[in-house]
Amino acid sequence: MLKFILKRLLWGIPVLWAVATITFIIMHIVPGGPFDEEKQLPPEIMANIEQKYYLDRPLSEQYILYLWNLLKGDLGPSYKYPGRTVSDIITDTFPASIELGLLAFILSLLIGVGAGIISAISREQNTWVDKTSMMLAIGGVSIPHFVLATLLILILSHTFRVFPPALWEGWQYAILPALSLAAAPAAYMARVMRASFMSILKEDYLRTCYAKGLPVRSILFKHALKNAITPIVTFSGPLLAGLITGSFVIEYIFSIPGMGKYFVTAVINRDYPLIMGVTIVYAVMIVLANLIVDILYSLLDPRVRQR
Amino acid sequence: MLDWNLATDSISIRVIENIMEGLTQFDQDLNPVPAVAKGWKVSDDGRTYIFDLRETVYWSDGKRVTAQDFEYGWKRLLDPATASQYAYFLYDVDNASEYNSGQLKDPSLLGVKALNDTTLQVRLRRPVVYFPSITAFTATFPLRKDIVERYGDRWTEPGNIVTNGPFTLREWRHEYSLTLAANKDYFGGRPRLDAVRFYVIGESTTALTLYETGGLDIVSLPPLAIPSYKNHREYVQHPLLRGYYYGFNVEKPPFNDNRVRQAFSMAIDRKAFPEILKGGELPATSWIPEGMPAYNPSVGLRFNPDGARALLKEAGYAGGAGFPAVTAVFSTNPENLLIAQNLQAQWKKNLNINVMLDNQEWKVFLKTLQNNTPPVFRLGWGADYPDPDNFMNLFTSNSGNNRTHWKNREYDRLVEAAVVEQDMDGRKKLYDRAQIILTEEDVPIMPLFQNVQNLMVKPYVKGFRPNAMDIIHLKDVWIE
Repeated sequence: MLKFILKRLLWGIPVLWAVATITFIIMHIVPGGPFDEEKQLPPEIMANIEQKYYLDRPLSEQYILYLWNLLKGDLGPSYKYPGRTVSDIITDTFPASIELGLLAFILSLLIGVGAGIISAISREQNTWVDKTSMMLAIGGVSIPHFVLATLLILILSHTFRVFPPALWEGWQYAILPALSLAAAPAAYMARVMRASFMSILKEDYLRTCYAKGLPVRSILFKHALKNAITPIVTFSGPLLAGLITGSFVIEYIFSIPGMGKYFVTAVINRDYPLIMGVTIVYAVMIVLANLIVDILYSLLDPRVRQR
Repeated sequence: MLDWNLATDSISIRVIENIMEGLTQFDQDLNPVPAVAKGWKVSDDGRTYIFDLRETVYWSDGKRVTAQDFEYGWKRLLDPATASQYAYFLYDVDNASEYNSGQLKDPSLLGVKALNDTTLQVRLRRPVVYFPSITAFTATFPLRKDIVERYGDRWTEPGNIVTNGPFTLREWRHEYSLTLAANKDYFGGRPRLDAVRFYVIGESTTALTLYETGGLDIVSLPPLAIPSYKNHREYVQHPLLRGYYYGFNVEKPPFNDNRVRQAFSMAIDRKAFPEILKGGELPATSWIPEGMPAYNPSVGLRFNPDGARALLKEAGYAGGAGFPAVTAVFSTNPENLLIAQNLQAQWKKNLNINVMLDNQEWKVFLKTLQNNTPPVFRLGWGADYPDPDNFMNLFTSNSGNNRTHWKNREYDRLVEAAVVEQDMDGRKKLYDRAQIILTEEDVPIMPLFQNVQNLMVKPYVKGFRPNAMDIIHLKDVWIE
């Protein structure tokens, strides 16, 4: 197992290198530079700035310099926020995104898996439960999160004043954004879980369990769930990586000091080191999340371990 | 970004203006009045300023604010290694641009010198009449050498930073919120507010929701919301020293003919803009905005469709016939789109000319302006300092902000002469003539309107009086 993890982590290095290189090339192809503004800077001032940030060097040299600093763990200074390093910005903003992302992830798992199981089980006797939850699921998948967020703010903050409409000052501020983020993945998971659970329920080994007289709870949650949840695990890896690195739209609407907004604003500002920094963090999260998914597979299914 | 040598964004500058004071500051009518300086003398040739500092101004750590702190701040601003975007504010100081560009290595040759603790001498390369307005700008505020050197890049963090203004920095959550606390030792007396919190909110409708649910006391209105709040008793509006214009590339046919440019400007009824944008924008045909000395609304080409058609005919395009395909380019944003579509319709209606529209992402647009200036383009300008020079020198021949490729020696001469002219009436005459060249005769640009700030302010907030530079002195504000 340890050898497997190490191998996968080593594979992550060329992946990150490729991501860094492609991002570096693309962002320099895009026209417009970090210091182009409505007020054109005098040439001597532009020269000072370019010298300070090594932007006067050839691109190949900037690229090598960047990779060299990256190896040393230095993500460079932000151009837009002078005096702040990209590491400062990520350290300051990543925690809020992680908190919100984890909460949304847990919510979507609970709601999605729960609703999926209930739908699957109640399909036989109680069709309205199944129908309602699947209708909600279709709504969840098809309503964009910013529309849902706006509706939640309008109803739960503006009209009924249950939750604050925005800002980031305590747990109650996380509820609306987390719900907005969780709705779509929860709905998707509910549908997947329902389908997967229903097909498992028809398996012979479950009939054997029933025949042996095992308690229903143990049959459903020990024997059926373990096999039915595999597609959810597959989906969860990239979902978790996406959620904890933050969502531009949700952070923007709720004014949350997270990392997600920099995926867009850094590009608008052509803040090259910040673009590189957040992209690399995201890539690291994806690599790690996929690794965790693979580890979970092997825990859930002994056959994977033997391969 | 609270390092006042480096800060350029409006949020940082708004905070700095309330935790720091410089030699001068603007009153409600944008006249520079004494702040840390209790007064100043100008030499007869207008090139030497002697600022006399108050002895009662202290930094928040108890040390006195001295002339040496100003000298250090100015030298740091101009040091090429600081790479400040606003270093050019002091380019009228002797040897400043030479030092900033690296041609001159010795900072002691700069025209700024502390003669003693309370006397600052400034030598200028030319007599600049509006220099006391420059010293009201944040980039020129004093700096503590010991603090900057001890903490490096982190000197502006709470706990490290020392300030001399009515408020001190209590808490700073980067890109999220800042909390200021009253400075009981402020030389002008402790402000009436105990604390002020600023939130950095990117989405203006979010800010408005917070205002409505009681989370904020002052908020700027998103353009879309203005019509619904216009008649609200908490609605506040004031003009800004910010102009919105369309420029022509005078080197590209058909706009190399000034009759065509005049026709394009005369074909526009500027009354349409406040009706479209609904923010109380002030239609303008002249370039110097209302609120600045030498503002003259009688300058500029009036709406005159017949005259416009006649000029177009003279230029060889009677009834718009044979007019080449032209594209007007602007940066992507809803306001710009509405204006561009209206201009397109008016040019079609009044000149029978089809102008195509092209919007580009902001930085892409700026690159296009630089490398291949479109025949017609949209830009704006906000005042750095409330003097007409700041608007008029944009279109001088060697200005980096003149994207029109237009060069006019007489215009250059008039603008240059107005900088050193001591008499305000004399200055106004020079600017009137220059504005006529700019907006009536040569027309490299057509001004469209002046922007306005739209705000909501809770009724219990008193003393809140933003000026046309959008500076808010929170020391004058209280809660009832």
